[in-house]
Amino acid sequence: MSGTHAGHGGAGAARPPRPPVSAGEVLRIATSMVVTCALAAAVLGAVYVATERYAEQERVRGERSAIAEMLGLDSTATVLEVRQYLVRDRGEVVYRTAPADGSRGTELGFTLSGRLTERSTVSADADPGKGWVPLGRLFVATRRDAPAGFVIEGETQGYKNRIRFFVALDDSFRIAGVRVVEHEEDPGLGAEVATPWFQGQFVGRSASDLPALDVTRDPMPEDWRAALRERDRTDPGTWRAHYAALLAREGKRPVYAVTGATISSRALTSGVRAAVNHFRRRWALLSPFLGGPA
Amino acid sequence: MSGEPILLTDRPPSAKALLLNGIFAENPVFRLALSLCPAVAVTTTVANGIMLGVAVLFVQVASSVTVALTRQWIHPRVRIPIYTIIIAVWVSTIDMVLAGFYPALYAQVGLYVKLIVAFAIIISRLEVFASRMPLIPTFWDGLGMGLGFLFALVVIGAFRELLGSGAILGHAITAEKPLLFFALPAGGFFSIALLMAFFNFVEARMLKARAAAGRPGAPAAQAASGGAHG
Repeated sequence: MSGTHAGHGGAGAARPPRPPVSAGEVLRIATSMVVTCALAAAVLGAVYVATERYAEQERVRGERSAIAEMLGLDSTATVLEVRQYLVRDRGEVVYRTAPADGSRGTELGFTLSGRLTERSTVSADADPGKGWVPLGRLFVATRRDAPAGFVIEGETQGYKNRIRFFVALDDSFRIAGVRVVEHEEDPGLGAEVATPWFQGQFVGRSASDLPALDVTRDPMPEDWRAALRERDRTDPGTWRAHYAALLAREGKRPVYAVTGATISSRALTSGVRAAVNHFRRRWALLSPFLGGPA
Repeated sequence: MSGEPILLTDRPPSAKALLLNGIFAENPVFRLALSLCPAVAVTTTVANGIMLGVAVLFVQVASSVTVALTRQWIHPRVRIPIYTIIIAVWVSTIDMVLAGFYPALYAQVGLYVKLIVAFAIIISRLEVFASRMPLIPTFWDGLGMGLGFLFALVVIGAFRELLGSGAILGHAITAEKPLLFFALPAGGFFSIALLMAFFNFVEARMLKARAAAGRPGAPAAQAASGGAHG
C-alpha cells in the first residue's frame, strides 16, 4: 500500500514494507516503554537509597579533611560552617551558622547595602526558607577564640560544566590553597586545573592582590614548574618555606594557563578572584558577630 | 522476531573467537571506528586510557548480558530507546555505588564513568549482537569488545603520552616534551589515524602471507564468524 517509493536496486535483501501500526500495537509499544522506564526508575531509586547515605557521609568527611589540610589545622581548631542565602523578595542576604556539634547557630540578615536587619538563633539543621537562593558556603576556623583561617566555597563556569572549588585564606588573608572539589573538565586537558601543580600557582597571593590577577598563555618557567610538581609530595608549610623566593617572584606574575586548556584555566582563576572578592565584603559585615578582625 | 535478517552465523562462535574478534578483527576503535570522540578526548595518557577502558568494559558486559536476558520482552520498535535506558541504568548504578563505597576510586574514575552513557560502541553491540545471540556468547562478545576498547585506549594513550609528554604512566622518559601536538585534541585524531594505518598494514601483510600459504583469509568485515587473526 505505502510502497510508492521504488525500493529496488538496493544491495541488501529488500525488506517487506512494514504494515501500518495498529492501535493495539501502539498500546503494546507504549506499555513496553512505560514498564521499562518504571523498572529503570525503581532500580535507580533503590540504588540511590542504598548508597546516598554513604556518599553524603563521604562528601562531608572529604570536605572536613580538605579544609583541615588546606589550613594546616590540628585538633585544637574548630571549624564553623556559614551558609549564605539571597532572599530575593526581601532584598536581603541571610547568613546562617551551622556549628559542627549540632548546637543552635546564629542567623544574621543584611540588606544589600550591608545594614543589619535581623539577628536570631536557628537550629543547625533548619531548612532554608522558600525561594532562598544558596550563595555558597564559608568555613571559619578558630583556634583559641581567634580566627585561624577561612575556606570559601565557590563555583565557576568551566569549559563543560560548573567547577566547584574551595579557596583557603590564612589569618592574614593570603591564599593558603585552592582545591577543585567537583568538575567535569576533559581529562588530560581542562582537568589539569584540579591538580596540585596548577592550584599551587594561587598559593601565597594576598586577597588584596587578587582583583588584578590575570591568566597568561606564556610558557611556565621551568624552575617554577619543577617547584609546583613537588607540591603533592611535600607538606604545605614546608613547601611554602622551601620555595619562598620562587613564590615571591611568581606572586607578582599572572597564572600560567594549562596548555590547551586556557578556558578552564581562566574559569578557575576568575572564580577564585570572584570568591575572594565576595568574601572580603562578606567578612567585613560578619566579623563583628562571628569574632575576629574586620 | 520474524523477518529480521540474521547478521551472524546461526551457530554462535566460540569464546576465544569472540574475544579475539573484539580485540583485533572488529576492534571498536581501530576497526569499527566507533566512540572515537571519547577515545580522542581521554587518551592523553596511558592511565586515563586504562580507567576509561575498564569503565567501558564493565558497562559493555553488564548491558550486553541484560539485553540478552530480557530481549524477548523488548518490543522491537522501541528497542533502541530501551537499550539506551539499560545503559543509563548501569552507568548510574556504577556511578552511585562507586561514590558511596569506593570514594578513593571514584575520585579517579568518576569523571569517566559518566561519559559512557553516550558511547556508540556499547549500543551498537547491543543491537548487532546481544539482541540476537544467546547469553553465553553475548557475555564473551561484550568482554571482547570491552577488552578491545581498553586495548585501543592503552595503545593510543601510550603513543600520545610518549610523544606528547615524553612519559609513560607518568614516569618521564625524555627530559622535555618531544611533540606536544600529540597531547592536544587534533593530535589525538592523527594518532588514531596513524595507529589505524599501522593495524591495517599488519593485517594486509598477514592476509598476504596467509594467501601465499594457500589459505585465503576472510576479509575483516566477516571475521566475526570465526576468522579472527592475531
